[in-house]
Amino acid sequence: MNKMSCKFKSRAENEAFARTIALSFLMPLNAAAEEMMEIRTLVSEGVTNAIIHGYEGNREKMVKLEIGYDDHGLITIIITDKGKGISDIDQALEPLYTSKKSSERSGMGMTIMQTFSDSFDIISAENEGCTIVIQKQLHVNLSAAE
Amino acid sequence: MKIEKNGNQLIFFFEGEMDHHQISLLKDICVEAIEKTHPEKVILDFKHVSFVDSTGIGFVLARYKQLNAYRGELTLRNLSHHQHALFAMSGLFQLVREEGEAYE
Ligand SMILES: Nc1ncnc2c1ncn2[C@@H]1O[C@H](COP(=O)(O)OP(=O)(O)OP(=O)(O)O)[C@@H](O)[C@H]1O
Ligand SMILES: [Mg+2]
Repeated sequence: MNKMSCKFKSRAENEAFARTIALSFLMPLNAAAEEMMEIRTLVSEGVTNAIIHGYEGNREKMVKLEIGYDDHGLITIIITDKGKGISDIDQALEPLYTSKKSSERSGMGMTIMQTFSDSFDIISAENEGCTIVIQKQLHVNLSAAE
Repeated sequence: MKIEKNGNQLIFFFEGEMDHHQISLLKDICVEAIEKTHPEKVILDFKHVSFVDSTGIGFVLARYKQLNAYRGELTLRNLSHHQHALFAMSGLFQLVREEGEAYE
């Protein structure tokens, strides 16, 4: 199993950085373009949630991104913040639910992450931060077939 | 981003990665451009957009509401297959039109 881990400040400009890091780290897997697009979206949704909901715009906190993959093309992505946490996880998972209606959010981030992943777990409680664990199985793993 | 005015029509040409960060830089400009002239039709062109996520859905839905308040019409143009699928998850094509090479 190959692994990476990094931490960056909770600033919106780091969303692009997180997606790029994921893309570079997973490059050896030769995933299909569509699957890589889904992975960029997974990372983007998770990191954006940590920044805007977890830390509520505080730019000085840290977001942690961990990515791993095994020989069978199973990718694990873990995104952690130590922010305000989620008190009602079922509600947060509902399509179109957002606690920030006024800032033009759609409430689709969690639904998108569930759709693009094979397994999706949230570990969170009020005031205890939030960790999301995403697994995604690549379907064509060219490097394994070589 | 480029903005083109064409009679009673306003076209926004977006570029690059349209994430939460980029949209926070663009949003006020778009809101004001629409508010100033109340165009009958607004087109959001995604031809040169290489990335979009749920923040883009929220942005599109908010522009739909802004336009619908004075009966203006919103159209998304040149979405990739992936972008179309992402936007479709929210059901927004019940409110917003789509046009472009792939979906004429
Ligand atoms: N890391 C987090 N910390 C605290 N609350 C969170 C976190 N992630 C999500 N939430 C809560 O879950 C809700 C649903 O998240 P989701 O990503 O689906 O929607 P959103 O972020 O509000 O809108 P969108 O993702 O469409 O822009 C959020 O509105 C927020 O209340
Ligand atoms: Mg979100």
